Amino acid sequence: MKSVLLLQFTRLKRAPTLMISFVVLTIVFVAVIGGFGTSTNGKETVYAYGEGKTAAWLDLLNESNVYQFEMITKQEAQEQVKTGKLHYALELQPNNYQFLVGTEDPEQVSVQQYVQNVFQKERQLQQISLTVDDPAAIRDQIEASLDAPVLTVHTEALHETAYTDSSANRYQVMIGMSLYFVIYTIFNNLTNIIMEKRNGTWNRIILSPVRKWQVYMGHLFYCFVLGFMQIGIVFLVFRYLFGYNNEIDFLPTIVTISAYLFAIVSLGMLLLGVASKPQQLQAINPIVATGMAMLGGAFWPLDAVSNGIMIALSKAMPIRYGIEALKSAMLFNQGFEAVLQPIAFLLLFGVICMGIGINLMERVKN
Amino acid sequence: MLETELLQKKFKDQLAVDGINFYMEKGESIGLLGPNGAGKSTTISMISSLIKPTTGDIRLNGKSVVKNPQLIREVLGVVPQEIALYEELSAYENLKFFGRIYKLRGKELEKKIHSVLNLVGLQERQKDLVKNYSGGMQRRINIAVALLHEPEILIMDEPTVGIDPQSRSYILDMVRQLNEERGMTVLYTSHYMEEVEKLCDRIYIMDHGKIIASGTKEELKSVLSNEETILVDMNPISKELMQTLEEDDEIIQVNEIDKGMKLIVPKGSNKLTSIFHQTEAFGVQVTNVNVQVPTLEDVFLHLTGRTLRD
Repeated sequence: MKSVLLLQFTRLKRAPTLMISFVVLTIVFVAVIGGFGTSTNGKETVYAYGEGKTAAWLDLLNESNVYQFEMITKQEAQEQVKTGKLHYALELQPNNYQFLVGTEDPEQVSVQQYVQNVFQKERQLQQISLTVDDPAAIRDQIEASLDAPVLTVHTEALHETAYTDSSANRYQVMIGMSLYFVIYTIFNNLTNIIMEKRNGTWNRIILSPVRKWQVYMGHLFYCFVLGFMQIGIVFLVFRYLFGYNNEIDFLPTIVTISAYLFAIVSLGMLLLGVASKPQQLQAINPIVATGMAMLGGAFWPLDAVSNGIMIALSKAMPIRYGIEALKSAMLFNQGFEAVLQPIAFLLLFGVICMGIGINLMERVKN
Repeated sequence: MLETELLQKKFKDQLAVDGINFYMEKGESIGLLGPNGAGKSTTISMISSLIKPTTGDIRLNGKSVVKNPQLIREVLGVVPQEIALYEELSAYENLKFFGRIYKLRGKELEKKIHSVLNLVGLQERQKDLVKNYSGGMQRRINIAVALLHEPEILIMDEPTVGIDPQSRSYILDMVRQLNEERGMTVLYTSHYMEEVEKLCDRIYIMDHGKIIASGTKEELKSVLSNEETILVDMNPISKELMQTLEEDDEIIQVNEIDKGMKLIVPKGSNKLTSIFHQTEAFGVQVTNVNVQVPTLEDVFLHLTGRTLRD
């Protein structure tokens, strides 16, 4: 097994382009889809426009730790939404607000929630102020009461609360893309098994004292390690170069990545059992990888999906559970308990696919 | 040393090998002859334990290889028909990997690598990538890999296909040296008759999954000891003439060859006069005539009705 594993790394050293290109692609895709360039001082920029007395609203809105509201003209907002440069813009009115929406964006939902809260609170204060002689005093009184409340209600979600933080979207994209592109790396490297069976080197190895399971293990472990390296590099690049520096639950993250890679390597084996020619695999691989990523929420969060069939299908996709568990571990720090269920699914998925895959491969041969 | 008993292999409904019996003694050089599709490669795959026979058994020193494939794997070196190497790696890296899977390590591995590289004459180019080698050099490394662990039995499946005469001659000399000087038992399959004639002590001829003849070169040629071969070069090649000659009861076989026809006739039958009469009658000009004693190629033709390269 060790010899087969070392051989694969020697081959990687001779032709590392594929793996490097998938790492680069992951970074490029996260940059494009996640849009990490739009943040200002760690805050997500929201563009607003409006006429009249809107400056006070802007100041209130900019008290946020998450969002940075910037004014542009109405014409600019309309033009940018029309051309797709902005997904949405906020229109501020003296006593109200509305959104100009071009395309659906999950981020807009959380922005809207935040704006609504700010408006609601301020309007309540304004109404109360109308009923007293000294509006400034009542405001101070209310602020003081809020700073030292009689009761403190601490809310905690049993499951993740989607997109309460703008960074959630960026993490979603980074995790999704990393898990998506690693599928390609693994599938492409597993194709080596078929190539070796075709060019005769596989038979040569089988005729040696090395056992067949050791040969399989050498290949599978190589794909696993390669996948781990790829995901690791991407995560480290984003952590140290692009400021994705949330505190993470290290062990659950490692265990989740391992379980996910096991599931994908097993799925690759199943595909090898189904397809007997490299050309067939080259056709199947992108369909399976992209289809799985689309359904499993790698390209967009499943919270944005309302179609019942799509949601049902997503439940059979390992990438869904990989994203879910990694978000729990890397974003919400929910500990081991939160990742156990997805990991259990990934392991079950892996065992089933591996069993069927190896069975099919050996049956084809006999 | 190695024997097969009623070895049979079926792929779905197709019978690839049909109950063959075969044996090899230690130090022998055995030729397995047959045209494409005769069942040679399937037989080799079964002997080397790559595929299981449908029925029958293979025994190495009396022990069943079918039940315990590891028995033969430890003493076997196989040179496959295809270039089974990692082209993106150098010859040295290929040999190092295959040596490691045969549990060779450290100095011993290095010594064996240099020994086989010397044997195949590629010591100087060991660091070159295999994909940059010529076809002949790739074939030599293909053989070197099989020799690395010094096997007792070497199976070579058409190891000279598609290479230049110089490399071919080099490989044949090397195989002879391995057999004669190192006492390696060799099973050599080919459809180049002259290679088998040059290298092998005994020959098995296969066709349609069966062994149709076996023996030493002399024994096989004696099948045609009462016949002689007449090669007639003619212009133009006339199929009508050949059909007419086939109807002659005294002519055993007529086959078309490159420049004319090959006839097998009883020794001393003096058919030349009759042949010349017929060629004249058909308006065919005879450009050359050669009367030969039978070769293995003739034996094969006689037994199967076709040439090895059909």
